[in-house]
Amino acid sequence: MSSEPRDTNVPGSGAGKAAGPGNTVSGAPAGGSQDPPEGLLEQRNAFVQTFFKKGAELTEELLREEARLRDRMLRLESENAQLRAQVASDDAIRDLLSRIDQLERDKRDLLSRIGNSHGDIERFSRRFAEIEEENARLASLYVASFQLHSTLELSGVVRHLRELLAQLVGAEAYALYVPDADGTLVPVVSEGVPPKDLPHVHSGVGPIGEAFADGHSQWTEGDPRAGTLEAPAACVPLRAADRSAGVIVILRTFEQKASFVDVDFELFKLLGVHGGAALAAARLFARHGLEIASVDAFRDLP
Amino acid sequence: MTTGTTQYSCLIVEDSPMMRQLLVFALARVKNLRVTEADDGVDGLRKLASTKYDVIITDINMPIMDGLKLVKRVRTDPVHKDTPIMIITTEGSHEDRQRALSLGANAYITKPIQAPQVIAKVKELLKIEL
Repeated sequence: MSSEPRDTNVPGSGAGKAAGPGNTVSGAPAGGSQDPPEGLLEQRNAFVQTFFKKGAELTEELLREEARLRDRMLRLESENAQLRAQVASDDAIRDLLSRIDQLERDKRDLLSRIGNSHGDIERFSRRFAEIEEENARLASLYVASFQLHSTLELSGVVRHLRELLAQLVGAEAYALYVPDADGTLVPVVSEGVPPKDLPHVHSGVGPIGEAFADGHSQWTEGDPRAGTLEAPAACVPLRAADRSAGVIVILRTFEQKASFVDVDFELFKLLGVHGGAALAAARLFARHGLEIASVDAFRDLP
Repeated sequence: MTTGTTQYSCLIVEDSPMMRQLLVFALARVKNLRVTEADDGVDGLRKLASTKYDVIITDINMPIMDGLKLVKRVRTDPVHKDTPIMIITTEGSHEDRQRALSLGANAYITKPIQAPQVIAKVKELLKIEL
């Protein structure tokens, strides 16, 4: 069985050239014409068509691939840009968060300082009020002392004692007791209570007599507005030369004076010492005038 | 020379030298306040005749002319009718307070006084920042 010879030559190759004079085509029928066989031509044409078709397809495929790659590259570039923006944005957010943290710390620090400042202000205000109160107390004591010793007249001392009791202590009803010749305490000055209601008192008897005898002030722990003769709001012995020269009896205080406070106790002490001295000096002055302190008395001083 | 600082003046009408001295001490704490003292209502009116004060402080119980009469006189005086008046007295009842305020007093403080309270009230009447 015979078969048609295959022309495996590619166009353009020397083997594939159209047969010229003296050339033969391998496989050609011996003694035939120079034209290739019809079948071979068809095969060649088919091959060429297929070749070009494949080439065209390949080219188209390459073009599509290129387009795909271009598209892919654009997408990647876009993603890249987005990622870069994202990173930049994340950094900015991180910076902002960091800044917020710092601001929060600053805020806490400032609030803490403000809190401390408020504490300082309150402390200073309290201290200022305490100092003002102390100043007022000292001023009261100074004024009381100053006024008590500003006169040697008995009436003047008694007037100042009255003022001190009413204006500084807030006594509404009070009496001044002094001992008579036999040592009985008798009321010589009173305010807010009729003199006939004031009894004579023996030394050491009752709160008035006890204050005179032992030389210590007494005062109620209760409401000084509710004091009575039997239980006065306060009894203050007036002392001079280590002995009692009299007793101030505060029977009750004004309505607005609901309790004794620190300055009152200081005033009681002052009354006891300075009031007693002022009273004794006034009584001596009333008896002897200025003769009591002669030049000789100063010469005998150590 | 002008310092630009407001100067204030205060008249204290009080018969008790002890209370006057105490008030003078207390008011020494108020800056730029000049204090004048009067023994009673008549003495107070005498001083008001020659000087206009920024604030008047008066007791009620005084000889010759009491504080309430003084308040009445001041309130009818065209020169002093708007001057703030503070009463300082031992009379602590509600009626006494109402009476004084109805006559034209601007403030009412009872004795024994608390210096910080007096200072605060005077500053308030003078509209000085506390």
